[in-house]
Amino acid sequence: MLFVINAISGDTDFIKGIKNSIFTGFVHSTFNRTFNIECFENGDLYTIACSKLDNGPNTLIIDVDNMKPMDIEVNDRVRVEKNLLYIGDKHTISIDKAAKWESTLPTYPSNVEILKLNLMKMKEYINIHGVGGGIKKNVITQNLFDAEVSNMLEKRTLLLLNELLNDRISSALPHAVSLVGLGPGLTPSGDDFLTGLFTIFNMKNSPFYPYRSFCEDVLKKAKTLTNDISYMTLKKAAIGKVRESIISLLNSLLVEDDEDLFLSLNKLLNIGSSSGTDIALGIIFGMEANIRAGGKVC
Amino acid sequence: MLVQALIKPNTYFDSVSLMSLSTKANQIEEVEQAIIAMGTEMNKEVMKNVGLMTPEVEAAGASDLMIVVKAETDELCETAFEKINDLFTKKNSGKKGKNDIKYSTISSAAGSNPEANLAIIAVNGAYAAREAKKALENDLHVMMFSDNVGIEDEIELKKLAHEKGLLMMGPDCGTAIIGNTALCFANAVRKGNIGIVGASGTGSQEVSVRVHEFGYGISQLIGTGGRDLKEEVGGIMMLDGIQALEDDEETKVIVVISKPPAPSVEEKVLAKIKTCKKPVVVWFVGGNEEKITEAGAHFAKMSKEAALKAVLLAGADESKLNKRALNIPLIEEVRTKLTPEQKYVRGLFSGGTLCDEAMHAAMDKFDNVYSNIQRNPEYRLKDRYTSQEHTFIDFGDDEYTQGKPHPMIDPSTRLERFIQEAKDPSVGVIVMDFVIGYGAHEDPVGAFLPAIIEAKQQAEQEGRHLEVIGYVLGTELDPQDYEEQINKLLAADVTHASSMQNAGLLAREFVVKGE
Repeated sequence: MLFVINAISGDTDFIKGIKNSIFTGFVHSTFNRTFNIECFENGDLYTIACSKLDNGPNTLIIDVDNMKPMDIEVNDRVRVEKNLLYIGDKHTISIDKAAKWESTLPTYPSNVEILKLNLMKMKEYINIHGVGGGIKKNVITQNLFDAEVSNMLEKRTLLLLNELLNDRISSALPHAVSLVGLGPGLTPSGDDFLTGLFTIFNMKNSPFYPYRSFCEDVLKKAKTLTNDISYMTLKKAAIGKVRESIISLLNSLLVEDDEDLFLSLNKLLNIGSSSGTDIALGIIFGMEANIRAGGKVC
Repeated sequence: MLVQALIKPNTYFDSVSLMSLSTKANQIEEVEQAIIAMGTEMNKEVMKNVGLMTPEVEAAGASDLMIVVKAETDELCETAFEKINDLFTKKNSGKKGKNDIKYSTISSAAGSNPEANLAIIAVNGAYAAREAKKALENDLHVMMFSDNVGIEDEIELKKLAHEKGLLMMGPDCGTAIIGNTALCFANAVRKGNIGIVGASGTGSQEVSVRVHEFGYGISQLIGTGGRDLKEEVGGIMMLDGIQALEDDEETKVIVVISKPPAPSVEEKVLAKIKTCKKPVVVWFVGGNEEKITEAGAHFAKMSKEAALKAVLLAGADESKLNKRALNIPLIEEVRTKLTPEQKYVRGLFSGGTLCDEAMHAAMDKFDNVYSNIQRNPEYRLKDRYTSQEHTFIDFGDDEYTQGKPHPMIDPSTRLERFIQEAKDPSVGVIVMDFVIGYGAHEDPVGAFLPAIIEAKQQAEQEGRHLEVIGYVLGTELDPQDYEEQINKLLAADVTHASSMQNAGLLAREFVVKGE
């Protein structure tokens, strides 16, 4: 028996692909709250996520709480027929009622005073509530591997910042590349940090916006340096396409509303193990680089 | 120290799971150090830097999962890998199947299960009406467990259900058996030809288990929700329920259960019964016999009587039924044990209608019967924490469940009150129900046992006998062990009543003086 599940919302382009019936692929990987489909047509990964997760690029949010009971397995064939997404012979996802969502970043502000204040608050909050073990150092490190990862992340992010602040974009590139794939998780801490940084590079009117091709230069080198899932996130972030919780945080950073800021930040920090914290620190890093660079970089 | 690596090609675990697996792997006794990480170039560089590089790690790809173990010997490394593999197996295992899928909306659940025809709504009362409406619009019958739903919403939903030929059970409907499937708080009873439509959850449960005990079974048990027979709602669901049972081929006899309805509603229900082609037994707790018999229905004053009349109408041979008459010698024996000062009954109930039934039994003999559910305001408990003369408390009533689960799940409030009542030298008898079945506490008697034993000992030390009557509402088919519950009561020197009717009558009779 085939079960029909409604999609609640989804990335506009993904929905368009399904509507145009040009989508075929197979299940690439499965998790408790998501599964990924590798598309035959363009080789990209697409994510089907449960209702508790936020929207994101190439993502469809469906009306189930947990994927595990759906019994979806890696290599299950995926196809589209009459606006329905078929996952093997097990499930059918209907996009009829799905709200369209598009990743749109806010514009970098002309007056950065509120942003500066909010970044301070954000840093304090992360100091207390952020998850260590990635970009944020753990006070006590459990093993040699973690300690070394932490040291390498620290050194390499500092080198990257130094080059960016001194307008040496091309020499910043190897330092950014040296972060790709660094960290034990599914999306390594180095990748998460770069996701945050790439996001800021893609904010219109930001000092680094004219240099956003830097992100794609990093990406060109990243393909073999990290796993497919994390690479896909970086690929989208490189063109300013990021998940909803990141956009919410950016919007909160631009206005004076502490409650909103901490709610958005908290949501982001809850992503993955240390992923949310690493992304948030990438955002802070990028914003501070922008502020410090000011009108210098352009 | 030896370092060994195991590579799992193209294996993905989310970061939280990897972190958790890594932490557990490092807690394995044989392990000096364990690292679980994706095989990216950068992570391999880290491995090299910390002296954990192996040929397997060197060969790993970015989408491979590396498990690296440092231990004293080869054997210990192997043992560690086995244990780590077990962790991965556990992580990957879990129940699968469509029954475990949780849907966020009624529409999705209905769309994914086209064969489903009933929705149970148990969300916060503020949202329950909206969800119930969606379910009805999806042509699903509704059982609404939620309470705190506005009466206007209830009326609208019931009218909509009526128009669509659907059942709208509830709000605040906790008991139903549909097609031999027990829903929410219900008991496992035999399938049979007696249909129940009840505005009272535990009242319906009680009649269903008595029918079962008499050797008969239930075709359907339809709940209406406690407010259905109020003037405003007009008994919409009760009338539809009677009709549904009349139309149901499996049902031969109908039992109608409720607290006394509003007069205008009673009139409508009795008019409906009058036209019903199937025999109908009516148990309105404290109801008027004359009106009911005039409508051609069979009047029952108490629960066991309702069940008995139903099975007789279904064809039972009365001479072969064990009607479990009251134990008269026991009444005499207990009376002699109680001092003249021990004049009062305290009824502590988890079931509202069970409380009502015991209270009415007492009211037949005594005037001074107080309760939180007394209809006569003069006999309403002034202070819910303090008993007055004969007191019967329904602990499932809203005032006792604020911020707490129902007493059929959480016995704590009732337990505290039991300890309090047991110390009162004017109390002769404490009577309590212990409801088992689906949704109920797994060992309700066990939860009270230490307190009962201690209270009885305390009373003995003070030179008085504390009589405790316990009634276990359930069947031998229920998930809990019915016999074990009864044996526990007996072991604690509790008088076990075989029905709620008997429990109420025994409690009353035990404290009668001078007969």
